Parts: sequence; C-alpha cells; structure tokens
Amino acid sequence: MNAANKTAAAQGALILCFLALAGYFVLNPGGNGVHVQEVPLVDVAFTNRATARMSAAEVIRTEGDASGQDCYACHERDKPPKLKFNPDQSVVNAKEHMDITMGHGSHNRNNNCFNCHNETNLELLQTRDGKELKLVDSAPLCGSCHGPTYRDWEVGIHGRTSGYWKRDAGPFERQICVSCHDPHSPKFRPWKPAPGPHSMRSVAVQADSGHSTTTPHL
Amino acid sequence: MSHPIVQSGPPAGGGAEAGDGMHRRSFLRSSAVLTTGLAALAASLSPLLELKDLTTLERFVQKYYKELTPEEMAKVLQRIERDVEEEYKVRPHVRDLKPMDGVEFVYALNLTRCIGCRKCVHACVAENNQSRTPEIQYIRVLKLPHGSIDMEKAQHDYSPETVPEKGFFYMPVQCQQCKNPPCVKVCPVNATWQEKDGITVIDYDWCIGCRYCAAACPFWARRFNFTKPLIPKERLNPEMAYLGNRPRRQGVMEKCHFCVQRTRAGRYPACLEVCPAGARKFGNILDPESEVSQILSRKRVFIQLKEEMGTSPRFFYYFDV
Ligand code: HEC
Ligand code: HEC
Ligand code: HEC
Ligand code: HEC
Repeated sequence: MNAANKTAAAQGALILCFLALAGYFVLNPGGNGVHVQEVPLVDVAFTNRATARMSAAEVIRTEGDASGQDCYACHERDKPPKLKFNPDQSVVNAKEHMDITMGHGSHNRNNNCFNCHNETNLELLQTRDGKELKLVDSAPLCGSCHGPTYRDWEVGIHGRTSGYWKRDAGPFERQICVSCHDPHSPKFRPWKPAPGPHSMRSVAVQADSGHSTTTPHL
Repeated sequence: MSHPIVQSGPPAGGGAEAGDGMHRRSFLRSSAVLTTGLAALAASLSPLLELKDLTTLERFVQKYYKELTPEEMAKVLQRIERDVEEEYKVRPHVRDLKPMDGVEFVYALNLTRCIGCRKCVHACVAENNQSRTPEIQYIRVLKLPHGSIDMEKAQHDYSPETVPEKGFFYMPVQCQQCKNPPCVKVCPVNATWQEKDGITVIDYDWCIGCRYCAAACPFWARRFNFTKPLIPKERLNPEMAYLGNRPRRQGVMEKCHFCVQRTRAGRYPACLEVCPAGARKFGNILDPESEVSQILSRKRVFIQLKEEMGTSPRFFYYFDV
C-alpha cells in the first residue's frame, strides 16, 4: 500500500469512527435517558418534629381538648377522691379515668396517684418533699425521684434540645419529660418505622456498576 | 493547522501529464473528506451541545472554591440561585457559610435510646435536597442483635409494624466526619476537603465523579448521583448552602455534611431535630458547656466505628450505663 492509500484508509477509519460516535450519541443506547420508575414520596409525617405524646402544656398551647385537666369540673373541692386498690396493689380506676393506664416502674412501683398529684388540691402536682407544682410544670416532679436523669436532662444530655446550639444566635427548645413519657406509664411507646431504603436504588446502581451500594459494607 | 491530505501529492515519480488531474482529484477528494470528517467530528462532540446556556459555561470555567474572591463567590451564588429557580421554579437563598472560629463539631449518638424509627433518614433527605428518584439517603439505620456489634449481622431493610423490636438495637450510620479522612486523601482534584470546624465538604462544581472517595470510605457514607437527581419542586428546601444542600447534578458525589446550611448558622442538624427519642446530640466540642462535651466527659462507654482503621471519627456512639 502506498502512502496516499494509507492516508485515505486512515481518514476513512477516522470518519467511520466519528460517525459511529455521532450515531451513538444520537441514538443513546447506553440509556442516559432510560426511564426509571419513580420512587413513591415519603409521607411528610415522617419528617416532622412531633414528640411521642402531647403534654398537658402542649394541649393548652395548641388549643386542644384540655377538659381532662379541669379536675374540679367533676371533683368537689373539699372531698379528695378515695383510692381503692386491686389485690395486686394497683389502683382501681374510675371509668372517667379509663384513659389512664398505670404502669410506672417495672413492678408498678409508682402507682399511687398521690405520689404525684396533690390530694387536697387536685390541680397541683406535689413532689415527695412537699413542693407544689402546676400540672404543666411537671419536670421537677419527675426530677424529685429521677435525680440523675433529671440532671442529664437539665444540661441537654437526656431528652431533646432543638433550635439553636449556638445560644447567642437564637432560641432553643427543650422538650419536657411528659412530651416523651406518659407520666402514668412512662415506658417509651413503640413507633411505626418510616419506610426503609427503596430496593429500586440497588437495582439502578447494579445496572450501572455491577454492585449494589445498599448492602451494608461495614 | 493544515489538513494532512492537502500535502498528499502525486505518487513519487508520477508523470507531469497526470499532474493537473491528480491535483484536482485529490483536492476534490480531500475537501469531501474534510467536510464529512468535520461534520462527523462535530456530531460526535454533540454532548457539548448540552453546554447550551451561559450558566453551564460559567460553571465550567469557574475557579477553585478556595481561590474565589468574595465578589466572585457572590456571582457564583447568584448563578446557582438563577439555575435553581429556572429548574424548580422556586427562588432559593444560597449562602456560602464559613466555619466559625473556636468551633469544632462532634456528634454523639445514644444507642440505648435509638428506637430505629428512621425519621432521621427522611428528615435528612428533606433538608438536604437528596434525589427522591433514584433514592439517595445519607443515613442508613442498621438493626443489630443485642450483645455485640457484629456488622456481619446488620440488617437495614427491616419493616416491622413497630419499633424497637425485642432483642435488637439500632445504629444509624452516616458520614463520620473523620479527623483523618481517607476520602479526602484519594481525591485527585481536591474537590473534597476537611474544613477547620471538622466538616469534610464537597464542592459539587469541582467533583469529576471518579468515585475514588466512595471506595476509600470505610463507612460507606458517600453517595453518587449515577443519574440526574429528581426532586419534586414542592419538596425542595430553598434555604441552601454552597458546600451543603444546593441541588447536585448527575455525576457528582455527595454525603452528610452535618447540615452546614443549618449548623454554621448556629442551628442543630435536621436529623437531631426530628429524633423522637432524643438519641442524637450535636455541638461544639471546644465549648465545655455543650451537650457533646458533657457527654464525652460523663458517659463511660463509647464506640468509634472501625476504630482500628485510624480514621478517628468525630461521630461517637455511646451507651448509657
Ligand atoms: C370527667 C370528670 C373528671 C375529671 C375532669 C377528673 N376526674 Fe378524677 N375522678 C372522676 C370520678 C367520677 C372519679 C371516681 C369518684 C371519686 O372518687 O370521686 C374520679 C377519681 C379520681 C381519683 C381516684 C382514683 C381513680 O382513678 O378513680 C383520682 C386520684 C382523681 N380522680 C384525680 C383527678 C385529677 C388529678 C384530675 C385533674 C387533673 C381529675 N381527677 C379530673 C372524674 C373526673
Ligand atoms: C415518686 C417517685 C417517682 C416520680 C415522682 C416519678 N417516677 Fe418514674 N419511676 C419511679 C420508680 C420507682 C420507677 C421504677 C424504677 C425501676 O423499676 O427500676 C420509675 C420508672 C420510670 C421510668 C422507666 C420506665 C418504667 O416504667 O420502668 C421512666 C421512663 C420514668 N419513671 C419516668 C418518669 C417521669 C417522666 C416522671 C414525671 C412525670 C416520673 N417518672 C416521676 C418513681 C418515680
Ligand atoms: C408519676 C407521677 C404521677 C402519678 C403516679 C399519677 N399521675 Fe396523673 N399526672 C401526672 C402528671 C405529671 C400529669 C400531667 C401530664 C401532662 O403534662 O401531660 C398528670 C395528669 C393527670 C390527669 C390529667 C390528664 C389529662 O387529661 O390531661 C389526670 C386525670 C390524672 N393525672 C389522674 C391520675 C390518677 C387517677 C392517678 C392514679 C391512678 C395518677 N394520675 C397518677 C403525674 C402522675
Ligand atoms: C425526647 C424524648 C425524651 C425526653 C424529653 C425525656 N426522655 Fe426519658 N427516655 C426517653 C427514651 C427514648 C428513653 C429510653 C426508652 C425506654 O427504654 O423506655 C428514656 C428513658 C428514661 C428513663 C429510664 C431509665 C433510662 O435512662 O433508660 C427514665 C427514668 C427517664 N427516661 C426519665 C426522664 C425524665 C425524668 C425526663 C425529664 C427530666 C425525661 N426522661 C425526658 C426519651 C425522653
């Protein structure tokens, strides 16, 4: 082959090459435009900042039904309710208080209503050492029996503090005990988990790189 | 540059009478070849056509993050705001937030508290504008049997009616913000680096998508945009930062950055804000009053994931005792 033919061949090859590339980009068989099925959007309830329960204070703040807090709508001022006990020492609840399930402590060790509520003024809470507190100001009550947890809570170790970590930049908010624990049965309640990783992601990744990134590689 | 074909004359020793014809022929031939060749070349470069507007071009010629003057940065931020508005019809507020003096961030996560509800995962996605299709999530919650931390037994796709499940505990894993980050070392273009508040950031405009960092990360914390990220515009968080949650494009890496758009403005990260159990703690380790300082000085049992790798995570797991 002489020089001219060689160049011609090289040119031909180059042109073919460019044409092939052009064809590739136009037809795009590699699948950049492949239509992937959309992953369903996650319910925004899973991204809100709700706590486990509404405290009495929160019910008032959000103008919910606070009738249960109005003790003397049903009780009489100078007639403290009498406690009746089951054989296992648990309190017999009046049907008006059926929404209250006592279960405080592993052996229901803290079941007596008047461990916390003030017998002579039902609207108040009362610590073991006689300090009286408003119903919506219950944290020191819990603290009177749960000292270490309370001290942790005061500095933000137990519970949740949100807002501004930089205290001079803006306000912070500290959730009170009863926003997370029902005072009557304080064990943290079970929670419905938000959706897990969508399997489609692993499929998409598999197609591209031959391995999945959703398997934990730890 | 002259096209080589123009130089191809008659074969050596060719007769003079053939000269003219040969020249004309080879000229015609060469111009035909030239045109076809150029057309094909142009077509083959068609991906460049996607550099359709000035914006993309601007990004293309943009300087390295650390070399941008404040004026140039302001322009870049405007460009991003314009881009986002065009694509999502939402006017964002994009800032370039710098690390604060005297601040080093640390995360502490209480494994006795975590109930595995995954709210942190989705709050993070919402805050940080991760792609919804395909799904990109910075936090992965591992479910582990009580008694040991055996990653071989970890499950991440649990879906019971309620959590926590008896006999298990949960361990959310995200970027550990290592003091000694292997991901940073392997980046060939310095598109990812550690800032003085301890956050390892990524410049999405500088990333070339080679994914070395993802391979280097022992915690599997980096996520790659294999396809164009898709975010419904009504879910877009318009409060953005350059090194944080501004939308990414196809072909770039991303990961948890401790919510720079929030934390460098003094706020707690999004994952902490939604945790119903109060398992997540974040703050400035240089401030002895901060929650994380108190935890590190008071609690006794800490775990740093893969401690033996020597990456020295700024993310501490602990148990209450
Ligand atoms: C809807 C009406 C109603 C309201 C509101 C109400 N109670 Fe009662 N409560 C009752 C009735 C009825 C009984 C049973 C009769 C009795 O002992 O007086 C009862 C009984 C009790 C008892 C005895 C133990 C038990 O479970 O039966 C306690 C303690 C008590 N109430 C505390 C409170 C306190 C504290 C409040 C306010 C925070 C309150 N109640 C609000 C109707 C009410
Ligand atoms: C009168 C003392 C007392 C007060 C007041 C008190 N607790 Fe308790 N609490 C206990 C005892 C006793 C236990 C059981 C400890 C055990 O079993 O080891 C307990 C257990 C708990 C537990 C562990 C879960 C359980 O049920 O075993 C939680 C959570 C709790 N309390 C929260 C609170 C909160 C919130 C308050 C305030 C509304 C509060 N406590 C007020 C005495 C008290
Ligand atoms: C561990 C302390 C404690 C014990 C024991 C306790 N309570 Fe309470 N109770 C509280 C606290 C604290 C609140 C306020 C809760 C809040 O902020 O949500 C409350 C709220 C209430 C309310 C108002 C509920 C509402 O609708 O808002 C009633 C009624 C009540 N308690 C009745 C009782 C009865 C009856 C008993 C005994 C069977 C009892 N409590 C035992 C601490 C206690
Ligand atoms: C942000 C939610 C939250 C707040 C606020 C909160 N707790 Fe808890 N607390 C939890 C969780 C979650 C657990 C662990 C779950 C479980 O084991 O039931 C827990 C566990 C406890 C326990 C059981 C012992 C332990 O440490 O595991 C006690 C006692 C307790 N909390 C008391 C309190 C008191 C007192 C306050 C207020 C000063 C408070 N909590 C505030 C979420 C909270």
